[in-house]
Amino acid sequence: MAAAVLGTVLRKSAGFPLVGKGLLKNGAGLYFIDQKRDAHQSGIDMEYLKQFHGPVMYPDEYTSQYPTTYRIELEPPREQVIQNSFLNFGPQHPAAHGVLRLVLELDAETVIRSDPHIGLLHRGTEKLIEYKTYTQALPYFDRLDYVSMMCNEQCYSLAVEKLLNIDVPIRAKYIRVLFAEITRILNHIMGIGTHALDIGALTPFFWLFEEREKLMEFYERVSGARMHAAYIRPGGVALDMPLGLMDDIYEFATKFAERCDEVEDLLTENRIWVARTVDVGVVSYEDALNCGFSGVMLRGSGIKWDLRKSQPYDAYDLVDFDVPIGVKGDCYDRYLCRVEEMRQSLRIIHQCLNQMPPGEIRTDDAKIAPPPRSEMKSSMEALIHHFKLFSQGYQVPPGATYTAIEAPKGEFGVYLVSDGGSKPYRCKIKAPGFAHLAALDMIGKKHMLADIVAIIGTLDVVFGEIDR
Amino acid sequence: MAKFFGVDKVVRFFQIVRDNGGIRGSLRALYRRDELKSGTLIGEDKYGNRYFENNMHFYGRNRWVEYADHVGLDYNASQVPPEWFGWLHYKTDLPPYKDPSRPNYKWMLDHTENMTGTRDAYMPYSTTRPKIEAWKPK
Amino acid sequence: MATVQIFRQTGKQLLGAARCAVATSPSIRNKYYIVTPPEESMEWNDVTDRAVNNMFLLEIFRGMGITFSYLLREPATINYPFEKGPLSPRFRGEHALRRYPSGEERCIACKLCEAICPAQAITIEAEERPDGSRRTTRYDIDMTKCIYCGFCQEACPVDAIVEGPNFEFSTETHEEMLYNKEKLLNNGDKWESEIAANIQADHLYR
Repeated sequence: MAAAVLGTVLRKSAGFPLVGKGLLKNGAGLYFIDQKRDAHQSGIDMEYLKQFHGPVMYPDEYTSQYPTTYRIELEPPREQVIQNSFLNFGPQHPAAHGVLRLVLELDAETVIRSDPHIGLLHRGTEKLIEYKTYTQALPYFDRLDYVSMMCNEQCYSLAVEKLLNIDVPIRAKYIRVLFAEITRILNHIMGIGTHALDIGALTPFFWLFEEREKLMEFYERVSGARMHAAYIRPGGVALDMPLGLMDDIYEFATKFAERCDEVEDLLTENRIWVARTVDVGVVSYEDALNCGFSGVMLRGSGIKWDLRKSQPYDAYDLVDFDVPIGVKGDCYDRYLCRVEEMRQSLRIIHQCLNQMPPGEIRTDDAKIAPPPRSEMKSSMEALIHHFKLFSQGYQVPPGATYTAIEAPKGEFGVYLVSDGGSKPYRCKIKAPGFAHLAALDMIGKKHMLADIVAIIGTLDVVFGEIDR
Repeated sequence: MAKFFGVDKVVRFFQIVRDNGGIRGSLRALYRRDELKSGTLIGEDKYGNRYFENNMHFYGRNRWVEYADHVGLDYNASQVPPEWFGWLHYKTDLPPYKDPSRPNYKWMLDHTENMTGTRDAYMPYSTTRPKIEAWKPK
Repeated sequence: MATVQIFRQTGKQLLGAARCAVATSPSIRNKYYIVTPPEESMEWNDVTDRAVNNMFLLEIFRGMGITFSYLLREPATINYPFEKGPLSPRFRGEHALRRYPSGEERCIACKLCEAICPAQAITIEAEERPDGSRRTTRYDIDMTKCIYCGFCQEACPVDAIVEGPNFEFSTETHEEMLYNKEKLLNNGDKWESEIAANIQADHLYR
């Protein structure tokens, strides 16, 4: 104690040459003494207050006429720069649908500019595909838009088939359409469910996910995986559907309309839902065209465009269905379109189940599709083909194709360039969500912050496909 | 009439409590399994897990396993042996003792649960001879 | 309700047109219908309807009614791990290396699985065994790289590598997921009963 005090005194006396830490027990304490921290002072400037000291005289009639004896020395008014606040709608926000990072420029609660930052889920799929054979590239497509898996596979398979110039058996086409529509329901369940969840309606989310679970079971039964199926392959599908699956899909399809009704009863006329979606995120007819929208974003604005109608692929020309379109192009219209699309998908599913033809599920070209296992084990030729296909893959004639399908989110396209080898020379993936997200600034301008969430929900963005 | 007033539900409740071994047994079962169910015992595997079925519940809940008593609260989904796996996952309706097609080779091993986090957890090692043999100085 | 009516009308038209519908027929382009509700009518009747709806929260109560109905239904959740969800014989889970009934391992180190694996998760080294047969000395699968696409079991000409039914193999550390040949063979020996049953169940389609 005494040493500390002595040391302090020595230290405080300026210029004392022998200030050494040797004396001190606790040297660190000194630095606090040295520093002028002024913590005991309030923030009031005493110099400034001095001018108010002095005798005070209450003004009477006469003295109030006096000129003021003192002037408050105010700073001259400066021109102030008022900056709008920025909000980082971060990648961990539950309404960001994955890894969206939005930098929002706000004026109070109004969004002036929104700047989506993407790339947090970038995996380099397109480049990876250049180093994979055509067979190996397939599982990558499941993982692009990971809520509509089989549609992506279907698009890739169609692109490869176009380059190969082959046709697939009719049964395979029907199976593809069947599962593409199951996928559409799967995606819209997710889209509507999370959209409602973001806006505050948690309940339909649970009901819809119960149905989604059933659909994933169908996926699992047909392919072996609940999500990343790798089922639709160039040349057909991987395996035939197991017995009894169509019965169960039929049973599901007869009951699912009721679930749609329940969700619609809860949401469609609900005043909160209406208030949160009607006239929010309006996309006009021209804007939808100019921004390169597709899918529901396009049809919600009243544009009659559906690739299943305009350039039918697989078995879509053999089934009957209608395409719902909106008028106003707001979130509410798009929600109605999605619900109606689910009902139309049910219609297509019913037709597929009723019309499902018997027959092969893969093209019989042994140079492209691997032979069935039983044949592979009994026939030498098939075994050679098997080895060739699983080691080297198949050669695709040189050429380029842009093949697009109507994925649940919009036009999902694959631009595939082949140089004649067994690996694609280039594979460019056109993801619908990318164009939609890019237009978020345009749609979300002058909206409230909470409406941005509604708009992200209605864009139905999934980062697997946007970041690829 | 009893059904209309829901008396059958009360009766069923008491039946379930009785099946779970009275009030104390039911409380213990509730603590361990978070719910009370009673069904017909389909079988028991050699590890002591008992398998039940009650088709009153919907598909997906009508089969369940009661893990062996000696594991206590350390029950684990991976304690179900492969023989019963298919039955419990609704792949087959045949319990293993009624299924003649299941192979039983002498080289087949006993089931073990997922050992992660314990001393017996699997650790990878190389199964090949080392490519380079180090020179041992003498 | 209006949407349903529109839907019905178009449906009727479709029934007529459906017979002659072909891929390029122009009528296909016209099957679009509007789902947006029409402008609110200002008929006295409708106005009062809406007013009543607004005042007495009718649509809110309808929604609450449906929500309440779900309260009375049996919940759809299952009590895992006591109850488990349905699986199919095709399920692609944990890998396993199988043996012939004699106990001889099936894998002949043809390396097709290594070649097809899109994630390059499989590493194989092979040598000749003393008895002259070709077998692997190293068969490693990095289960953290594996994407469970099932190509390896499709590629295998002798049904040696399979993706078994087990999905409860999560581990606490990364190393435990780097399976070697021993572990894979062990898996096969443990799960053979179920793997064989799966292959048997799915033999019609393979």
